[in-house]
Amino acid sequence: MPNSTGQVSRRRFIAGALGSGAAVVAPSVLTGARAAEELKIATFYALSGPGSLFGPTQTAVTRLAVDEINAGGGIGGRKVTVVPSDGGAPPAEAAKAAIRLMLRDKVDCVVGSHDSAVREAIVAALKGRIPYVYTPLYEGGECNPNVYVTADTPQQQVQPSITWLAKTLGTKSYYLIGNDYVWPRKTNEQAKKYIGAAGGNVVGEEYVPLGAPNKFEDAVTRIKARNPDLVVITLVGGDNINFNRTFAGFGLDKSIKRISYLLEEQTLLGIGDKSSSGLYSAMSYFENEKGEANAKFKAGYRKAAGAKAPQLGMIGVDTYGGVYCAKALIEKAGGTDAARLMAAADNLKYRTPTGTAVMTNRHVVKDMYLAECKGTSFDIVQTFKAVAHGQTCA
Amino acid sequence: MDPILTTNVLNVVYEVSTLAVVVLGLAVVFGLLGVMNLAHGEFVMIGAYCAFFVQAHDLPFLAAVPLALLVCGFLGLVVERVLVRPLYARPFDTLLATWGLGMLLREAVEAVYGRGFRSVATPLTGSVEVLGADYPAYRLLLTLVSVALVAGLVWWFVRSATGRRIRAVVNNPELAASVGIPVTALARNTFVFGCGLAALSGVMLAPLLPVNPTLGLDFILKSFFVLVVGGLGSLVGLISGSGVIGGVESVVSAVSDRTWGYTTVLVIAILFLWLRPNGLFPRT
Amino acid sequence: MSGSLLSFAGVTGGYGATTVVRGVGGAVAAGEACCVLGRNGVGKTTLMRLLTGHLPLQSGTVDFAGRSLDGLAPDRRHRLGLVYCPQERPVFDNLSVRDNLGLMEPFDAHRHAPLLAAFPILEARMDQSAGTLSGGERKILSFVRGVAETGQLLLLDEPSEGVQQENVERMAGFLHEAKAAGRALLVVEQNLAFAREIADRVMVMDHGAVVLAGAAADITEDTLAAHMHV
Repeated sequence: MPNSTGQVSRRRFIAGALGSGAAVVAPSVLTGARAAEELKIATFYALSGPGSLFGPTQTAVTRLAVDEINAGGGIGGRKVTVVPSDGGAPPAEAAKAAIRLMLRDKVDCVVGSHDSAVREAIVAALKGRIPYVYTPLYEGGECNPNVYVTADTPQQQVQPSITWLAKTLGTKSYYLIGNDYVWPRKTNEQAKKYIGAAGGNVVGEEYVPLGAPNKFEDAVTRIKARNPDLVVITLVGGDNINFNRTFAGFGLDKSIKRISYLLEEQTLLGIGDKSSSGLYSAMSYFENEKGEANAKFKAGYRKAAGAKAPQLGMIGVDTYGGVYCAKALIEKAGGTDAARLMAAADNLKYRTPTGTAVMTNRHVVKDMYLAECKGTSFDIVQTFKAVAHGQTCA
Repeated sequence: MDPILTTNVLNVVYEVSTLAVVVLGLAVVFGLLGVMNLAHGEFVMIGAYCAFFVQAHDLPFLAAVPLALLVCGFLGLVVERVLVRPLYARPFDTLLATWGLGMLLREAVEAVYGRGFRSVATPLTGSVEVLGADYPAYRLLLTLVSVALVAGLVWWFVRSATGRRIRAVVNNPELAASVGIPVTALARNTFVFGCGLAALSGVMLAPLLPVNPTLGLDFILKSFFVLVVGGLGSLVGLISGSGVIGGVESVVSAVSDRTWGYTTVLVIAILFLWLRPNGLFPRT
Repeated sequence: MSGSLLSFAGVTGGYGATTVVRGVGGAVAAGEACCVLGRNGVGKTTLMRLLTGHLPLQSGTVDFAGRSLDGLAPDRRHRLGLVYCPQERPVFDNLSVRDNLGLMEPFDAHRHAPLLAAFPILEARMDQSAGTLSGGERKILSFVRGVAETGQLLLLDEPSEGVQQENVERMAGFLHEAKAAGRALLVVEQNLAFAREIADRVMVMDHGAVVLAGAAADITEDTLAAHMHV
């Protein structure tokens, strides 16, 4: 893990040194020629802050995608280089970095996996002048021009999974618990819609502050009192772990099922095998997905990143598709002209770790998986094909 | 009694007593040395990783206790000598230095174990029936151990000769040295003791926490609130502070939600800083 | 002065960069009392704190029982036999009277009995916190604590301050006993009558230096007064 990040920053340093050296000695014609040879992708991954747990995976997976693309001749014949930036920085910092990357480093496009506050700052900074691919799961609603969202939307996570659980497990009453910010609230809006559609009812809904050292004894006691059939969890990171461990510690895992909408391999490792029974997760990627494409992807990843490769999971693997989405867009549009990219995005097909995805309304129609936790690994119990993203960007 | 009410009451007792143990080490060190050890949470974190280490090597959970005491005690010894002692009577410098130390310890642990979450299995699974309510056995045990630990320490502090000498140093350091109390050694031992307490609470809480390098940060702010409310440097203050902060937070969280719990605690802390900056039991 | 228990020479020191005491020398032998006299603020307490190790020497030497005390912390000096009763904050306010007396060794009624019998005001308040005592009572408590200890050198900084006359007289009696037992006394005093009562030798300080020193018997009241009120 430290190895792969070290490699990237070394590359970045060399690229930066070459670039600035060229700027000093070479006439502008020459730098122009250089730019024409190379296609620069700026990445915004969580190198610091709470999301930085995923940074190493994001970086390693991007490295893999870029190496594959360069081995196959680059994007439209241009060799791809990556200019990394910190998506875990405060939004204002990220915006400044985006402007610098666009104007000084002349990057051709941006791929980002970070929170929505940073996304909004970057969107405002770029003003649609260069394409921006946004990859992690999010609350939906991003329709700005020249922004392409490959993320899972609440519609994709919630609709098939809630419907399936209600039908298969016969869950009728639901308790919603999440962190207090936009993604959990938007996700729960969708959840309530589909719970209602399935004839169930919500017996409790609560939100805990994001970033506080939360404890969950009180919430678990409330859940015990209301005794729902299913708890819908939109807690993130340490809170998700803490809640699920407390939940199982109080013995509620024996009688009440849970579904968490931000539960990937790293978080499950923290929850541990003693606290994960009756716990589900719904996302567009699990390392355990048994398809042929994923097997190939994982083999390539192991070969490239080595034995100590960072853990694969949805947050991280998302950037692989992000880079391929950028490639497909630029090749189909024949360049990075905004209007042509926007037109190219419709019905765009690009490669993901599990196969091929299709873009409509600058969001992605994709296969979704519902997994049940078995110890500290995921067992996919249902695959939902080509799930609609529910976004209506013109 | 209604089982849900019983559970809520047990939750409050659990929260207050475990909080008291975490703050105990911090308060003892502050009380005697006047040093606010901002790396206290990191010693808790290292204690938790000791529990993880022991589990990863298939040793019994209790082996983590001597391991954590040894590791943190040794660290405390070194830190006292090279960082804390040269900065006595320079509180602001000590704050900066221990904050830096905290960062260093987080980075060090991250270098060994990475940023990811680790889980420590609960050594005591299952639940115990208390007044008609099923309560997790480990939490119950933890509550009992915490109460016993705090009570034992208070008793020792009040009754033992060393406890009296510590109180003498807190009250009048110059006279204490004059009557032959080895103040420097006592200060060192107290710092090491405080680190050991942090380590112990880390081991105890490890099975209930997402163990990761930043775990310690979660404890520092709340520990501060406890000291703000309770007053600095007295055990009565510490216990009442833990009671007020932990109690109010868990009671309000139980009847309302966590957001209101935090808000209430924050308001209480602000009111204390504003109207009663020396806390309930100020240092004489 | 080879017969001295405590001898010091050229003692210079103060607070930080400020020098308060300059080049002070002196000695106390076993069985002898030396009184340090002088107006307020001439450096008497600073001298005591320099001798007991609470302040670092800027220069000079302090020897006790033939060894140098250079660099020793106050608690180490105490172990060698220096018993110090400071002028300010002489007791632990948060401990009971009993705990003040039994802090280092368990309280021993027998050892303290004659002292407590002489100062019944303390005996009546054994389990009360020392913080509740009056200023004079605290000085008595501090005095009792110091005299009951076994160290060979007693350094008393204004023991009679705020103490009623009858108790000052009792203090003098105990100090005579201590001298008879071979202990050495270095006593800072403002109470001239008390000082004359116990002193074998006298040092008068002014502006941080010794301006007059000699055997108590050789120094007349008038000379003393002249040096103390210049």
